[in-house]
Amino acid sequence: MTEPESIPTDSVSEELSAYLDGELDADGVRRVEQRLARDADYQLELRRLERAWGLLDGLPRATVDESFTQSTIEMVAVAASEEADAALAELPRKRRRQRWLGALGAVAAVLVGFVIGTQIWPDPNEQLLRDLPVVENFELYYQADDIEFLRMLEEADLFADGDNRDGN
Amino acid sequence: MAISESSAQRYRLQDPDVRLMLEVRDDNAAAFDELMMRYQSRLVTVLEHLTGRRDQAEDLAQEVFMRVYRARKRYVVGAKFSTWLYTIANHVASNALRSRSRRPEVNLVPRPNDSTGVGALDRMALAASGAMPARQLDKAELREVVREALSGLNERQRMAVLLNKFEGMCYADIAESMEMSPQAVKSLLSRARVNLKEILSPYLEDGTRPP
Repeated sequence: MTEPESIPTDSVSEELSAYLDGELDADGVRRVEQRLARDADYQLELRRLERAWGLLDGLPRATVDESFTQSTIEMVAVAASEEADAALAELPRKRRRQRWLGALGAVAAVLVGFVIGTQIWPDPNEQLLRDLPVVENFELYYQADDIEFLRMLEEADLFADGDNRDGN
Repeated sequence: MAISESSAQRYRLQDPDVRLMLEVRDDNAAAFDELMMRYQSRLVTVLEHLTGRRDQAEDLAQEVFMRVYRARKRYVVGAKFSTWLYTIANHVASNALRSRSRRPEVNLVPRPNDSTGVGALDRMALAASGAMPARQLDKAELREVVREALSGLNERQRMAVLLNKFEGMCYADIAESMEMSPQAVKSLLSRARVNLKEILSPYLEDGTRPP
């Protein structure tokens, strides 16, 4: 039998292999077939590859018996039951987690409500605190009777604390 | 395996096994049984030739089905069902072969007594014996030689050959199952073919058994 001298290069083998597998595009098929028509070594290489590959068809195919099917189904059934048990065991933990989340949510809602409330409805005591100096000196103000006169007294620093007056 | 919605829809329409797997995802036990019936022998065949041992092939096939079941809730349509199944099988088998290689008791050539496939080997035996009148090729011996030749390939070549030969997968599907490019699969299968030819040709031509 003649040996194909220059044939078994990687690209030739890949081309022939893809040709045998039907994985070449139309151009590739035409190229291979044109070369097959004129190159005996190329033809021989194709036949050898094809023949060796064809032998694999004779390898035995397994047939599994009923016990294999049965034991696989049993394994899956055990896995399914373990899954169900795990999901069941997870339930109280999930409920506890949900209760905690609920409580935290409620606290957060109260805090947010409080902040928003104070923005919308200001504390009336704040106004009272601001007016406290006036309330404390109401009798004096009442006697003054004239706001311009009071401003003059303010500018003269007569209502300031003793410390302020003494200091600066 | 992320694909467009239109591709996913195409797989749903064209691949009945994808539709079965979607039912498995919805906890339909009968759908799982049906898938198992369709694939168990095919899967064991591939795994047996890959590992060289029937008992291990059955264990691994069961492991594959368990993984399919456990992964059902995360299943999204991304390929043909068989491509997805053999991606899992490839992982399971690779892990098993890796751990077996750490415990050296390997005999990749399976027992010859459970063979059933005969057609092509019969034809080859007859053809070869016609070419060599002095030596009648024994069918069992030929089958054994082919097994040895297959086990002489490296693991990745063997897997690609089995998916192509036994599952009829195209390069693109093999590439997806083996997580490599179609071009790499093309090279892998080409090298596998050349290796098989080199191992088997001397035997077919003058009866010399591979070393």
